[in-house]
Amino acid sequence: MAEIRIKNLHKEFGTGQDKVVALENVNLEITGHSFVSIVGPSGCGKSTLLNILTGIETPTNGTVDITSDGHVAAPGYVFQAARLLPWRTVTDNLLFVQEDRSDSTKQRCQRYLEMVQLGDKGDKFPGELSGGMQQRVGIARAFSIEPDVLFMDEPFSHLDAITARALRRELHHMWDETKKMVVFVTHDVGEAVELSNRILVFAKGGSLEDDIQIDLPFPRDPADDEVAVAKAHVLRKFEELDLLAS
Amino acid sequence: MTDTATDTTAEAPQTPRVTEEELARKARRTELTSRWFWRILSYIVVLAVWEFALLDIFGFLRGTPLDPKLLPGPSEVVATFFEIWGEGTMPAAFQATLTRIAIGFGLSFLIGAMIGILMQSKWFEGFFKDAVLISLSAPGLIWVLITAIIFGNRPLGPTIAIILTTFALVTVNVSEGIKALPKELIDMAKSFQVGTFKRNRQIVIPHLAPYLFTGLRFGFSIAWKVTVLTEVFSSSEGIGFEMRISAVLFDMSEFLTWILAFFFFALFLEKVVLEAIERRYFRWRQAVTAS
Repeated sequence: MAEIRIKNLHKEFGTGQDKVVALENVNLEITGHSFVSIVGPSGCGKSTLLNILTGIETPTNGTVDITSDGHVAAPGYVFQAARLLPWRTVTDNLLFVQEDRSDSTKQRCQRYLEMVQLGDKGDKFPGELSGGMQQRVGIARAFSIEPDVLFMDEPFSHLDAITARALRRELHHMWDETKKMVVFVTHDVGEAVELSNRILVFAKGGSLEDDIQIDLPFPRDPADDEVAVAKAHVLRKFEELDLLAS
Repeated sequence: MTDTATDTTAEAPQTPRVTEEELARKARRTELTSRWFWRILSYIVVLAVWEFALLDIFGFLRGTPLDPKLLPGPSEVVATFFEIWGEGTMPAAFQATLTRIAIGFGLSFLIGAMIGILMQSKWFEGFFKDAVLISLSAPGLIWVLITAIIFGNRPLGPTIAIILTTFALVTVNVSEGIKALPKELIDMAKSFQVGTFKRNRQIVIPHLAPYLFTGLRFGFSIAWKVTVLTEVFSSSEGIGFEMRISAVLFDMSEFLTWILAFFFFALFLEKVVLEAIERRYFRWRQAVTAS
C-alpha cells in the first residue's frame, strides 16, 4: 500500500528581493487507494508540489517520503501536455519508460493502450494523433509502468469539454481497476469533485488551507444533486478563503 | 411487375460515394502530376535554350554562325559522356574528388560539432564567434586560393580549404540544436527515472539529428564545390583537374561533359541518398507535417 508523508515542506525560488515562496510549511499524509485532488488558484504551488513529489525539483526545507509497503514507491506522471517523443511511435513511447523490452512488457504496454482505446494506434507517431489521443497515450504510459502512485498535473486542461469528460471516465475506471493512488492537480473544482475522494485546497503563497473529504459513490455525474452540492461546498470554501477574489 | 418497378425506384437515387481518403489520394496525385510537369518542362526549356544558342540566330543573320566547337549541342555532350565513361577516366576522377571530400568534410564535421558543443559556454562562444562568422560570410574561393598558394599540389590544401569553408555550418546547426533541447521531455524522462544514457540516446540524439542532417546537407554541398575549385587550381587528379585540362585544350564538349557528370552525381546524391535517409530517419516529421 502506497503512502505519502510530507513534513514541514517549504520551497522558495530566487533570493533577496526576487524571492518567491512557492510552498509554505506543508504537512500532509496520503495513504492507500485514494484519489486526491489538489486545487487552488494559479501560483498557489500546486505544480511545484507535484514537481517535488516526483523529484524534478528539490525542497528548500522539509521532507517528503513516498513509500509502498516499506520500499521507495515507483511514481508515474501524467503532464499537462502529453510530452511524447515525437520521433518514436506510440508503442515505443510506452516502452521508453520501461525497464526492459521483453515480450511481457510489450504485452503490458499493449494492454494499457487498449484500456485507453488506442490498441490499434501503436505504430502511429504522436504527430498523427489528435490532442485527446496524445493525452490518452500519456495516461497509458503512466499506468504502463504500474506505478504505486500516479501524479497528474492538470492533464485535461488543454482538451475540449467532451474529450476531457470522456477521459475523466476512463481515468476513473482505470483508477478503480488498478487500485493505485492518484494525486491529481487541477484548477477545475467540478473535475476535482467528480473524480476525488479527498480535495486539498491550497491558497496563494503555497499554504495548505483545507482538506475536504468527498464521500459520494462513484461514478459521479456532474448533473447529480449531490455532486452539485459537493461542488458548491468546495466553492464556498474557496470563497471563505477569499481565493476566488484573488 | 409492380414490385420490381417499386424496387428499382427505391434504389435509383443512389449516387456514387467518394470517401475522404479517395479525395485526398486524388488531390495528392494531381499535385504530384503538376509538380512533375513543371520539373520536366524546366529541362525542356533548358535544352531548347541550349539548342537555340547553338543556332545563334542573330549571329547567323550577320553571316557569322556560332562555332559548334565553342558550344557543342546536347547530343554531342551526351556522346562524349559515354566516351569518357568507357575510358574509365570518370570513376577515377570521382573517386579522387570524393576521397578528398570524405576526409575534408569528415574532419570539418567533427571539428564543427565539437565547436558547436563548446560554444554552449559563454567563454568559448566569445572565442569562436567571429571565426564562425568569418567562415560563414567569406567566399570559399578565398580559402581555395590561399591554400593553393601555401600547399600547392599537396593533399592538405583541399582538406584545410574544406574545413575552413564548412565547419561553421555544422557549428551553427549543432549550437542551435543544443539551445533548443526539449527540457520538458528530459524532465518527463527524469520523472520516470529513465537513466542518463537512455535519455541521451532516445531524446538528445534524435532531437539533434535534424540539425546535424541540415549541417551535413549544406556543408556537403559547399564542400563539393570547394573541392572541385581546389582541383581546378592545384591538383593532378579529380573532377576539377579534368575540367581544367578540358578548358586548357579548348575541348568544350569534354568540359560540358564533366559539368553534366557533376550535375548527375549531385542529383543522385540529393534524390537517392539524402531523400532516402530523410524518409528512413525523419518519417515522424512527415507525420507531424501531414497531420
